[in-house]
Amino acid sequence: MRPGAAKKAHLSRPMRGRAPLLDGMVVPTLIVLALIIGYPVVSTLMLSVQQYDLINDAAPSYVGMRNFSDIASDQIFWTAVKNTLIYTFGTVFVAAFLGAAMALMLENLNGPFGNAARAIVVSPWAVPFVVVAFLFRFIYMQKGGVLNAVLMHLGIIEAPIPWLNDSDLALPAIIVANIWTTTPFFFLLVASSLSGIPDAVLESARVDRAGTWATLYHIKLPYMRNPLVIGSLLMIIANFNDFAKVWVMTQGGPGFSTTTLVVYVYRMAFENFRLGYASALGVIWLILLLVTAALYFRLLRGRD
Amino acid sequence: MARIRMSRRVLMLSAAVFAALPAMAQDITLTFANWATAEATTRDGMEQVIARFEEANPGIRIDSQAIAFPEIGRQMVLRIRSGNPPDVAQIAGNDTFLLAASGGLQALDDYAGETLATLKPGSYAPFQTEKGLVAMPWNQAPAGFWFSRDILKGAGLDPDNPPATIEDLNAAMAKVKEAYPDIIVLGMDTTNRAFSLQSNWPWMRAFGALPIGEGATGADTPEMKAYLGWMRMLAQEGYIDPGRKIGEFRPLIAQGQVAFLWDQVLVQGVIQNASGIDDATFNAQFGVAPMPAGALGSGYSFEGGHQLVMFDKSAQKDAAWKFINYLATDEAAAKLYTVDTNRSIPPAASFADPELAASLDTPVIEAFSTSIIPTITPEPFGPDFATAATAIMAGVQEAVTSDRPIDDIAADIQSQLDR
Repeated sequence: MRPGAAKKAHLSRPMRGRAPLLDGMVVPTLIVLALIIGYPVVSTLMLSVQQYDLINDAAPSYVGMRNFSDIASDQIFWTAVKNTLIYTFGTVFVAAFLGAAMALMLENLNGPFGNAARAIVVSPWAVPFVVVAFLFRFIYMQKGGVLNAVLMHLGIIEAPIPWLNDSDLALPAIIVANIWTTTPFFFLLVASSLSGIPDAVLESARVDRAGTWATLYHIKLPYMRNPLVIGSLLMIIANFNDFAKVWVMTQGGPGFSTTTLVVYVYRMAFENFRLGYASALGVIWLILLLVTAALYFRLLRGRD
Repeated sequence: MARIRMSRRVLMLSAAVFAALPAMAQDITLTFANWATAEATTRDGMEQVIARFEEANPGIRIDSQAIAFPEIGRQMVLRIRSGNPPDVAQIAGNDTFLLAASGGLQALDDYAGETLATLKPGSYAPFQTEKGLVAMPWNQAPAGFWFSRDILKGAGLDPDNPPATIEDLNAAMAKVKEAYPDIIVLGMDTTNRAFSLQSNWPWMRAFGALPIGEGATGADTPEMKAYLGWMRMLAQEGYIDPGRKIGEFRPLIAQGQVAFLWDQVLVQGVIQNASGIDDATFNAQFGVAPMPAGALGSGYSFEGGHQLVMFDKSAQKDAAWKFINYLATDEAAAKLYTVDTNRSIPPAASFADPELAASLDTPVIEAFSTSIIPTITPEPFGPDFATAATAIMAGVQEAVTSDRPIDDIAADIQSQLDR
C-alpha cells in the first residue's frame, strides 16, 4: 500500500455507503434545533445590544456595547460572577469527592444492608430541587430550625446561628444543601464505572499482590476518571444554571451575598424588566459556560 | 314506529339547540386574573362571589385564572407585552403602577364617574394618575402595629398601651426579650422584594429618611443611617427574625410566638382562622395601634389594599366594568369577600346594609379608621420602584446581617440608586 493510501481509504469509507436521501433526512432535525436553540440564542444576542425595557412603551433601541460596558462597572455583576464560581465549583468538587468516596466504600458491601445503604445514599437525588431548598430553609431557620436546635442540644453552640441570614454563612449553607443533592449523582456514576471493571483485571492485581491503595490508584481511578470528568461538566453546567435553590432559600440575599448570575439575570429581566441588560448578562453567562465546556472537552480529549 | 319516534326526538333536540344558539352567542366570558382563588384562605369566598355575579348576570361568565400573589405583576406585564392580557385583574402595590406605566391599562374615569362619589376619597386618590384613573379600589388593607396583650402583660408591660414612640418600643422590646427569650419580639418583613420596601417605607419615614421619590434626599443621609443602625440593633439584640416573609409571621403570632407585628389589617382573619378564636377572645388577646412615632414625631402606615384593573385590550369593556363595579361596590359581595373572607375594609364611604355596617364596627376597624389610616404615607411607586427596592432592601439586609459599617452600606445603596 502506498503511503497515505490507508488514510485515504479511511476517509472515503463513510462516503461510500452514503445515500443523499438519508442525508436530507437530517434537515427536519436541524430546523427544529435552529428554532428551539438557535432562535433564542440569536434573539438574546440581538437584544444584548439594545435598550429594551418591558415597562416602557418605547421600541427597543440600538445602544451598541453600552450594556456590556455598564456590566463591566456593575459591582453586583462581579459579586454574582464570584458567587456563581464559588457555588458551582464548591459544589461540584466536594460532591464529586464525596460521591466517589461513598461509591468506593460501598463497592464491596453486598446483601440487604448494602442495598439499603445504596438506596439511602441515592435518595436525595430523587427529591425535587425546590423541595430540597424548602427543606434546608426550614433546617437552617434561626428560630425553630432543626440544625440550631440539635447544635444547641449538643452544647456545640450557645445561641442560634443565622445560617441563611449572615452574609458570610449564607452561601456556604446553600452549597451544603446543594452538595447533599448532587453527591448521589457522582455516587451513581462512580459506582457504575467501578462495576464495569473486569474481574480479570482486579484478579490479576490481586495475583500481583497489589495493595488497596495501589489497586485504587492504578486500576480503579483510571476507570473512574472519564465518568467523573463528564459528570463534573454536566454538573458545572447544571449548577451554573441553578436558580431554584438560591431563590427559594435566600433570593440572592442577605444583601447580594448569595446572588448568582442566574438570580441576577432573573431580577434584571423579570423584576426590573430590563431585557436588554439582562440579555447582555445572558451572553456573558453563555460565553463563560462555553469556555468552561471547551476546557473540559480539551481535558477529556487529552486523557483519551 | 320506533324509528319515527327517534327522528322526532332528534328534530326536537335540534330545534332546542338552534333556539338556544342566539342566546349562547351573546354570552360573554371575562378572564379574571387573581390571587384570591390561588390562596386557600380566600378561594372559597372568591368563588362564591363569582358565582353570585354570574347568577345576577346570566350573560356573563367569569373565567377565573389563579395566579400566585408574588407572580401576578410579572405575569401581567409579560401578557401585556405579548398581547394577551386578561380582561380584569386583581393587583396591588407597585404592580398597579407598573402596569399603568406599561400602557396596557384602560382608564376607568368614564366608567367610574358616579361611583367614585360613593367611595372614601382616600381610597381612590392614589390611582388618579396622569393617565387617568388606572385602578378601582377593591379593598383597603393598611398596616398597623399589632401586639399580643398576653405577652405584654407577661413582660410587665401595659397590655392596653402599646409603645407610642420608637424609644418606648426599644424599651418594651428589651423587656419582652428578657421575659420571653425564645419568641420573636418584632415581626417585620426584611426580604428583598418590592413589597418589603413598601412595608419598610413607613419605618424609614419615621426616621426621616426619604431615599427615593418626590423630594428624595437620597440614601446616604443621617436619617437613613439612623434607620439602618436601628435595624442592625434589632437584629443584634435578637428582636427580629430576618429573612422571613411577612406571611410567615402570621401563624406564629396566632400561636403566641410573636409579641409585636408590623402587618396589614387582614391579620385578624389569619389569626382567627389559625386559632379558631372568636371576635371577643381575639380582642382580649390582641390589639392594633399606630406605628410608634419616630424622630419626626409621627409614625406612618402604608396602604396595602387590592385594586381591580381593566386592560385596554379587553373586547368586553362594559361587561368588565360591570364585574369590577360589582366586586368593589356591591354590598353583598363586600360582606362576603372583602369583610368576611379577606378581613379588609371596603372602599365605600357608607353602607345601606346595617349588617355590613355592624360587621365593620369592631375595635380593630375602629383603630384603623380613626388613628392608623390618617397616618398613611404615600409610597414612591412607579417603574423604578422595583429596582430601587432591590438596592435598598439589599442594604437593609446587609445592615441586619453583617458588621459592615453603616456609612459604607448607605453609600453603596446610593451608588446603586444613582446607576
